[in-house]
Amino acid sequence: MPEDQSYWYLASYPKSGNTWCRVFITELMRLSANNPGEELNLNQDIETGAIASSRLWLDDQLGINSCDLSFSELDPLRGHAGASAWLFAEGERFHKVHDAFHSPDSRGRPVVSTTGCSGVVYILRHPEDVAVSLSHFFSWPLDRCVDFLLDPNAALVPGERFGGHQVRQYMGRWDQHVRSWDDQTQLPTLIMRYEDMLAKGSDTFTELATFLGLPTDSKLINQALENTSIDRLKKLEEDVDGFAEKPAGCERFFRSGRTGEGAEQLSIEQRKRLAKGLSDVMRRFQYEGPELD
Amino acid sequence: MVNSLQFCLQRKRRLFTGINWHFNSFLPAQANSRETPRNLTISLVKSHRYCAFGAQINSDLVLPELSLSDSASDVLVHIQQGDHDQWPSLEPSPHSTPILQLSPQDWRLELEGIGWFRATGGKLLEWQRWDDSVSDRDIRTFAVTSGLGALAIQRGALVLHGTALERDGEAILLLSHPAAGKSTLAWCLLQEGWRLLSSELVVLGSDGLVQPGMHQLKLWHDAAVALDLNWAQLPPVRKGLKRYALLAQDLTCMPQPAPLRVIYAINRAKEDSGNGVDIEAEVKMEKVSLKASRNFSQTNALMRLRNQAFHVRMYRGMDAEAQLFMQAAALARTVPVHALVVPDGIKAMAESLKEVDLMQPESMQQRSESKQEDTNDA
Repeated sequence: MPEDQSYWYLASYPKSGNTWCRVFITELMRLSANNPGEELNLNQDIETGAIASSRLWLDDQLGINSCDLSFSELDPLRGHAGASAWLFAEGERFHKVHDAFHSPDSRGRPVVSTTGCSGVVYILRHPEDVAVSLSHFFSWPLDRCVDFLLDPNAALVPGERFGGHQVRQYMGRWDQHVRSWDDQTQLPTLIMRYEDMLAKGSDTFTELATFLGLPTDSKLINQALENTSIDRLKKLEEDVDGFAEKPAGCERFFRSGRTGEGAEQLSIEQRKRLAKGLSDVMRRFQYEGPELD
Repeated sequence: MVNSLQFCLQRKRRLFTGINWHFNSFLPAQANSRETPRNLTISLVKSHRYCAFGAQINSDLVLPELSLSDSASDVLVHIQQGDHDQWPSLEPSPHSTPILQLSPQDWRLELEGIGWFRATGGKLLEWQRWDDSVSDRDIRTFAVTSGLGALAIQRGALVLHGTALERDGEAILLLSHPAAGKSTLAWCLLQEGWRLLSSELVVLGSDGLVQPGMHQLKLWHDAAVALDLNWAQLPPVRKGLKRYALLAQDLTCMPQPAPLRVIYAINRAKEDSGNGVDIEAEVKMEKVSLKASRNFSQTNALMRLRNQAFHVRMYRGMDAEAQLFMQAAALARTVPVHALVVPDGIKAMAESLKEVDLMQPESMQQRSESKQEDTNDA
């Protein structure tokens, strides 16, 4: 497959920094263009590529109405979708994925196409902070978010009783999700911790740009980082009167972006449940939790 | 030895087909009434005659989604069981995928666990089960949609993702991609006196007439509940799916072609974000009425029609993209295209339909929506 038709995945558990990463990539590419033009418009410019679970995209690939397939029929097919020479529309090269790499229905196959894929950036964030962010995003109580992170059947758009613009995205437990991408060997992978994106932005995003073959000029990287800081994104969200990816009931998509909110807002019991259930992967990525009894 | 084994296998498949249709309890009364014992003695594989998408169709599958035909005119399309091992190798277009193989006048679909399908020359649709656990319903779900759509493209028709309805001899076309609520909206319109011309895919002839096609609506469980339908009595679209088929017997259908008066591109007032795990949660929504935009410019209308082609990839892969472009341009010149903003929530949508006339888009326009076209024409 020619170089200009290659594509990348930006994979993450939801609320882990995927959108920030996409906005950064968009901004870096905008700044490095000959004529950067006006500032970023959140609802018009973040067209880095279709989400891999897009029903529209899958239907086009499969030539059928995917609503006519069950989850157990669709998941094994999804990895085959997209293996054509023109995988996605020209110019759209970075595709968001919230699915785990495999699903219980995918017969051991990846749920995303790997043919012609240049690699995956996997973004992860401390599960305690993910719980708090999920709570704001879905308008759920914190306890429900903790349950969700520990639920082996957790999925987005999981219902069999309604359609939607995206197909069911199986995620499983938070640690299963991380492992599914970190342990797979079919695609080159760059793991990025949200905490490093915040604390060591310049280094972390330079590593990202290098991995993706984007410009790595430090001035451009730092300018793109400055233009996509959480305060800047909050302002941009106000400018467009609500980010298109914000669900109904969620006050704002870009909220605080801080780390450590989980430790402040979760009860010790909730934190212990997370630490107990997710300890292996938390340790693997140097995430600390409370002392367990 | 090998030949006799193949013969036995083929015979077994035919027998299976023959037995299967005979005991199909979900067939509409009109379909069942044509299956007489006399015909059984003539052939194990009975053929059935339909008229849909502008063609007389002869099928070895019972297709309750289509209108039966007793026309004496020549059969144009044959649907019959085939053997994918016997199909010649294909020089696939670069637009092919592992599941969808495409070349001019040749369309092939391989659905693991379900079957193989091949449409050729605008005339022949072949199908083969993956194994004997695959039901006729499984096969026809894909044969009458993607398969007949591919044949219509090969015959030179314009095929769009949409649902068409008729009233007083004229048709409207609702365009949207799957799962956007076309069928739910269509069901509500049928309760207001409209007749169904075709759902899921709509075929327009060169004469500008909308051809009768799929006389079936597929409703998700939640939509059926919201519409107060007795979902427990409805057959699932396929076994195990929480999606139900409303067949011709449950609907008011239009068996004749009708001229197209207006096209609507559907936008939901609040599209689901795709992240809505809690999609069933009660969200208080302000009551919104149905709204139509001014008609699109011809350029916007053309792009919208082109994007709603019944699989742009199929047109490209079968070398028919120029045909699509010309037909969409001609349609954009002659029939107005409006965005239709549909209230979120099925009950709100049903209520708001009572207050408007979809033949009169002007009646649903607001003075302040001058930017509607641009904002909704993404």
